[in-house]
Amino acid sequence: MATFINFKALVQLLLLPCLLLCSSIAYNSSSVKATMHTNNWAVLVCTSRFWFNYRHMANTLSLYRTVKRLGIPDERIILMLADDMACNTRNKYPAQVFNNENHRLNLYGDNVEVDYRGYEVTVENFLRVLTGRHETAVPRSKRLLSDEGSHILLYMTGHGGDEFLKFQDSEELQSHDLADAVKQMKEKHRFKELLIMVDTCQAATLFNQLQSPGVLAIGSSMKGENSYSHHLDSDVGVSVVDRFTYYTLAFFERLNIYDNASLSSLFSSYNPSTLMSTAYYRRDLYQRRLEEVPVTNFFGSVMETIHTDAAYKALSRKISDRSESQISLDQSIHREERRMLININVCDEIHDVSTEGQEDDSKCPWSAFYRKMQKIENVDSLVNYGLVAMLPFLVFSTWLFH
Amino acid sequence: MVPLCYCRFLDRLQLRELKDSLIIFCTDVFSAMLIRATGQNLRLAYLFSLESLDLVKQIEVSEILSSGDIAALIYLWNPFTIVACVGLSTSPVENMAVILCLYGACSRLIPLAAFGWVIATHLSLYPAILIIPVIFLLGCGPDAPPRKLFLQRHQQEEVLNQSKLPLGFSWRPIIHFAFWALLWSVYVLVLCGISLKQFGGIWEMFKSTYGFILTVEDLSPNIGVLWYFFAEVFDFFRNFFLIVFHVNIIFMILPLAIRLCHRPCFLAFVYIAIFSMLKSYPSVGDSALYLGLLGWFVNELADMQFSFFLFCGYFGVSLLSPVMHNLWIWRGTGNANFYFATAMVYACLQIILVVEGVSAMLNHDRKLRNLTTGKPRDAKS
Repeated sequence: MATFINFKALVQLLLLPCLLLCSSIAYNSSSVKATMHTNNWAVLVCTSRFWFNYRHMANTLSLYRTVKRLGIPDERIILMLADDMACNTRNKYPAQVFNNENHRLNLYGDNVEVDYRGYEVTVENFLRVLTGRHETAVPRSKRLLSDEGSHILLYMTGHGGDEFLKFQDSEELQSHDLADAVKQMKEKHRFKELLIMVDTCQAATLFNQLQSPGVLAIGSSMKGENSYSHHLDSDVGVSVVDRFTYYTLAFFERLNIYDNASLSSLFSSYNPSTLMSTAYYRRDLYQRRLEEVPVTNFFGSVMETIHTDAAYKALSRKISDRSESQISLDQSIHREERRMLININVCDEIHDVSTEGQEDDSKCPWSAFYRKMQKIENVDSLVNYGLVAMLPFLVFSTWLFH
Repeated sequence: MVPLCYCRFLDRLQLRELKDSLIIFCTDVFSAMLIRATGQNLRLAYLFSLESLDLVKQIEVSEILSSGDIAALIYLWNPFTIVACVGLSTSPVENMAVILCLYGACSRLIPLAAFGWVIATHLSLYPAILIIPVIFLLGCGPDAPPRKLFLQRHQQEEVLNQSKLPLGFSWRPIIHFAFWALLWSVYVLVLCGISLKQFGGIWEMFKSTYGFILTVEDLSPNIGVLWYFFAEVFDFFRNFFLIVFHVNIIFMILPLAIRLCHRPCFLAFVYIAIFSMLKSYPSVGDSALYLGLLGWFVNELADMQFSFFLFCGYFGVSLLSPVMHNLWIWRGTGNANFYFATAMVYACLQIILVVEGVSAMLNHDRKLRNLTTGKPRDAKS
């Protein structure tokens, strides 16, 4: 019976580490893997129709131009315009849309790709774009094909109110609809980080219900405040831009693709007195510090590149790769130096001394072994020798100890 | 005879890949030879235990079949083994490592047993649980009726003949085994570390091999039951069910070890059957191993129930399963349930085999006990 208890203890001892191993592996797989930021998307939505809402179209097109200038390609922009101002019969300047009375910039240039136009801009389509739940016939250009490494910029402009945004003058997107869509997106890993920018009256109320982590939201005005247009273009006959978007564009026109201005500088550039409303941003769901996040993380497409010397090496061993590349570099330099040595006796003697020095080191087996290990081309043959040596060692040890 | 049949079979098909599979074929033949040697060892142990229990007259010695030959033939001619060999799978290599370990433990060749165990664990994680039967084999010796039977027998006769008593449990071989296992594992890990330095080192290797086996990332259909389950489990519960499935193997270790500690080879067979069934990515090569090892126990398991049902079941499943797979994947007329049904039936058959095998073995022990205590019972009934 005493042997039984020993066995029990033995078996329990074996059980514990196995359980620990399983749980640790399970925990490792369940903990959030740090996904890399791989691409940027922009969803730009203008929700108002009718000629007198020209400024909302101009807002959206200005932001479209900025985002394209800073690097996001058309494949990753979903542009939704609820009405056509450029070819509107009331437009004195056909096929041109301006956001300033100086008419310096034509926003409706040669390469504007509108994905959802006119009556296609509905709350249903908007939510379908966000959640990715489309009918089978919807083409790829109309889908938000983001993945878990995407940063998404969601810009919405139009008429809004307390916890709603008006679409097409006939339906509303409510704040809990938006929060639900964002939650679905988070569940389906459709974004890594999301920046929601809203330029409407009482915009900040639209993201009251948001709860998903990784979401940053800024609205042009708080509850009870209106967002105003910037100026009236007497030539076109309507207001051409809203104040919030105007000052946003003023910030971005100073930038080019190489600047790394941070989001906190963008957010602090809004002056409540010039905006005539308080730009309110919500950062409790966003883990990173705004001073560290460059604006091009959302408004442009600037990626971090990792340079590796050789192909097919594991990304997690960046440091070892660099050190190995340095070692191989040193060796190649050494070899070149050897080749450059002319047949001068002195140099030959130096050469001999250096080889002798190496042989001396080999008397201390560990350093020679270590140096051998660092030469990459010897590794495979060493492993092969090791594998082959296993069999005679096994036979010898079995014969010795039988 | 057997190698000749194999060679004729290979030449008839005349495919180049089959000639390349000569290594795997030699592995299979070597495993069969080791199975035969171990089987002969077990048979000798069985005869010795019968002699020491003085049951030689009651159980006809000539009726005791040569379990080593039978087991080797079953292993070589098993269609599963042939299929694994033709398909150039690495299962025969894993099977050889396990058989090497058991052979070394039975013949008290401790470095060999340690080598086999380390290599088997390195190739696929699950043979690690075979350390328990190996410890029993090294400590107590090969399969024998329970020790108390011997003590009872000799108490009855009041004669303590030391030569007829089996040896008690000894720790020295275990310590040797631990030392050799440590040595071989260090050797293997150092080789792996050197060869994988460029690819992320040993930790990357463990994540890709053991981590892959334990976390079941890839859900391609196979003859097991885990893929179907994990395809539909919610992510929130995935870790819980991973732990459940792996603990399913672990929690059977202890009770079986307690109950079958006097029969370590049979314990090894039961463990192999259990983990072949419940491992995350089973294949027919794993079944080939335990079906071959079943041949070691033809004498003890002669009265196993449902043997014909099991044989027909295995035959039917091995015919239906590829058909259902073809229907589902290639023709698209079936669905996953067709294929999974055959996988479930296969698992049921394995469970029945294990359960009936264990109960037949325990019945055999009970029969021996009744014979030694002299109850009026005919040995042949």
